[in-house]
Amino acid sequence: MSKSLVSTICPYCAAGCGFYVAVEKGRATGIEYMLEHPANEGSLCPKGNAALEVVYSEDRLLYPMKRNGNEWSRISWDEALKLVSKGLGRTIKNSGPDFAGFLSSSKCTNEENYLIQKLARSLGSRNVDNCARLCHAPSVVGLNRTLGAAGMTNPIPDLANSKCIFVIGSNLAENHAILSRWIHRAKDRGAQVIVADPRLTHTAWLADLFLQLKPGTDVALLNAMMKVIIDEDLVDKAFISKSTKGFEDLVKAVKDYTPEKAAEITGVPAKDIVKVARMYAKSPASAILYSMGITQHTSGTDNVQSVANLALITGQIGKEGTGVLPLRGHNNVQGACDMGALAEFYPGYRKSDDPETAKFFGQTWDTISLPVGRGLTATEMIDAACNGELKAMYIVGEDPANSDPWSSHVKDCLENLDFLVVQDIFMTATAQLADVVLPAASWAEKEGTYTSTERRVQWSNRALEPPGEAKSDLEIVCMVAKSMGLNFDYPDAASVLAEINRLVPTYKGITRERLGIGGLIWPCPSTDHPGTPILHSAGFKLQDGRALIAPVQYKPAAEDTGTEYPLILTTGRIAVHFNAGSMTRRSPSLMERAPNLFVEINPEDAAPLRINDGDSVEVTTERGTTTALARVTDSVKQGVVFMPFHYPGTNFLTTDARDAEAKIPEFKVAACNIVRRD
Amino acid sequence: MMRVYVDINRCIGCRSCEVACKRVHGGKGHVNVHISEDRASVPLFCHHCEEAACTMACYSGALTKDGERTSFSLDKCTGCGLCRLACPFGVVWTDKLAHKCDLCAPNETPTCVLTCPAQALSNDYELALKRARARAGRATILGGKR
Repeated sequence: MSKSLVSTICPYCAAGCGFYVAVEKGRATGIEYMLEHPANEGSLCPKGNAALEVVYSEDRLLYPMKRNGNEWSRISWDEALKLVSKGLGRTIKNSGPDFAGFLSSSKCTNEENYLIQKLARSLGSRNVDNCARLCHAPSVVGLNRTLGAAGMTNPIPDLANSKCIFVIGSNLAENHAILSRWIHRAKDRGAQVIVADPRLTHTAWLADLFLQLKPGTDVALLNAMMKVIIDEDLVDKAFISKSTKGFEDLVKAVKDYTPEKAAEITGVPAKDIVKVARMYAKSPASAILYSMGITQHTSGTDNVQSVANLALITGQIGKEGTGVLPLRGHNNVQGACDMGALAEFYPGYRKSDDPETAKFFGQTWDTISLPVGRGLTATEMIDAACNGELKAMYIVGEDPANSDPWSSHVKDCLENLDFLVVQDIFMTATAQLADVVLPAASWAEKEGTYTSTERRVQWSNRALEPPGEAKSDLEIVCMVAKSMGLNFDYPDAASVLAEINRLVPTYKGITRERLGIGGLIWPCPSTDHPGTPILHSAGFKLQDGRALIAPVQYKPAAEDTGTEYPLILTTGRIAVHFNAGSMTRRSPSLMERAPNLFVEINPEDAAPLRINDGDSVEVTTERGTTTALARVTDSVKQGVVFMPFHYPGTNFLTTDARDAEAKIPEFKVAACNIVRRD
Repeated sequence: MMRVYVDINRCIGCRSCEVACKRVHGGKGHVNVHISEDRASVPLFCHHCEEAACTMACYSGALTKDGERTSFSLDKCTGCGLCRLACPFGVVWTDKLAHKCDLCAPNETPTCVLTCPAQALSNDYELALKRARARAGRATILGGKR
């Protein structure tokens, strides 16, 4: 029997791990580790190890379906395409293109994302976005403003060269597990590791110093660290004067943030703040890793800027072992943003409110008038659906009914649409609200490129045939476009990549032929360019080559505790599940390890509520009530409770209060109360 | 002598070894990750003892020493469960028939070692020693901290 090994990229997080799918007689029989991969060196987290279970799940969607009342009936692709083009077309014709919204998917390849945003804009709609809005939109805004590029500045393996690793708001040991090997390697070489998090996580186990701060107080902590660094003259004066602007404003802005004042706000002892500031500033190479703990706040953009400020005043950027490293969530959330599946950007981060952008793409896309101006973001589309400003939506590979905050409200809004088409591999909670459901191929059943968190663009091969009548998102989007009269003639992913090469300068040299194991790291401006693992080593892509130090002030979270809701609910992830869980909750070997929604509560809070470990409890916020099993643990501080958002219950509770600029909801802070169910 | 070494300092409790072991052994895993107090975690599996109690208890000859490895032959197992009782570490299980770590023979490197994201598992005795020495040195410099 012949067995072939097909190299693919893991469909879960953005670490971009490679592995081989072993295929015999058209069926995947196992996973072989890719020891030669530069980031994961063969290793995989539990989700990666269980990736094939999702492919063969019996819940896979096998054929297009339409809804009649509460019933679903199987339809042909022809009929499905007719319904979709009629549904979208009617809205565009009767109400105007801006009444149609498109959600692209950070699970899809770069090529598919490129086509989805091209479809939306070619139809005249400005409203295209992806779920980066829910994870790293503040990084796109904040890092573009301060550093001139939104991406991890240094690659993952470079962490091994760091001498001080500061992890703030990221539980990477569970969520980007392979990073821990590089952190351990740095520790073997003498690096010190600092972890700041409201929870004592498995990541904290890696730390030499752990700071347990109150959720939503990151700016206070970072500003106080900067004040210590400025007061003790630990700044990099040469770097500040040569490569930055705005330092004087920062000095003024942080002058009131004494460690004692920050200690009061954050709950971190003042002496630890001083110690961490010195450790970070004095080390010859310090790196900052951050994730949702920084971004998912009403102050998300401020938090990101604050992180960048810290790196800039100490010159810890542009060299080996340094950098600002946002760890992104989905396997292709970086790529979806690069491809312009964002309300405020066309491909290559060209501003959508600039008429020149529309002109530039209009010439190559053969569409005379592309829309100018920022469209609705993913979160705003939900609002617009509620108040009738959006009438039709095309959602690809996303599950806002589970992944957006205040999910009962989201469902109401989606039901209010005249027409909803959902394209996915499973019947998700969102798909259940649709008029038409289109069956898509999973990652192993299609080909194309994915851009990992370290900006590494990698080609993933097709290992299997899609089940039933399912088709790749690329094929489906092209069919939909053609049915609406657009000229989308792309035989395969490589032909789309060739168009991307022409239009996106950072991807210019990333051609199909050049993509082997490990791929290429953008910016890669020509076909003989080796890629750019470390950004900003020769100045910044901003006005006169200088980075901007953009000081910010601490603002409390949108919700505060009171007598009715005395506890702070914060949310996050666990090792064996992924995001809204539409994949991992269908994976038996992951599900058996974490079958139930739980809530972590400190023993001091649990005792007066008569809550024991394992009790069933009700968690209530202003938006709803969810039941969960109590986990009594001192991993969370008194006054803070934690729930993972992989189960539908959690986002019933979270708030849709948003960051003013990046529009990210504050998943990390909600006021709640808990009672035991008797 | 045990062939896969565990570095508790490195284990992040992700349970990747559990899932991988189960996948390559037809749905029955031989590793259990124990997480202590929501902090430290340690994968537990067969130590491949030099004088293995399970082999002494096994009257059918299913469990035998094969060099360093404690090997198990499914064909000979009667499912009596004596090995489970004999194992001092609780890492031989019976589910009708016995099952335990086979070091992924005949592969050179066990699957758990290959998949461990944190490199907490290794089958290199020298590496385990080197790390222990480095840790001792680091503890001395940092004044007793781990």
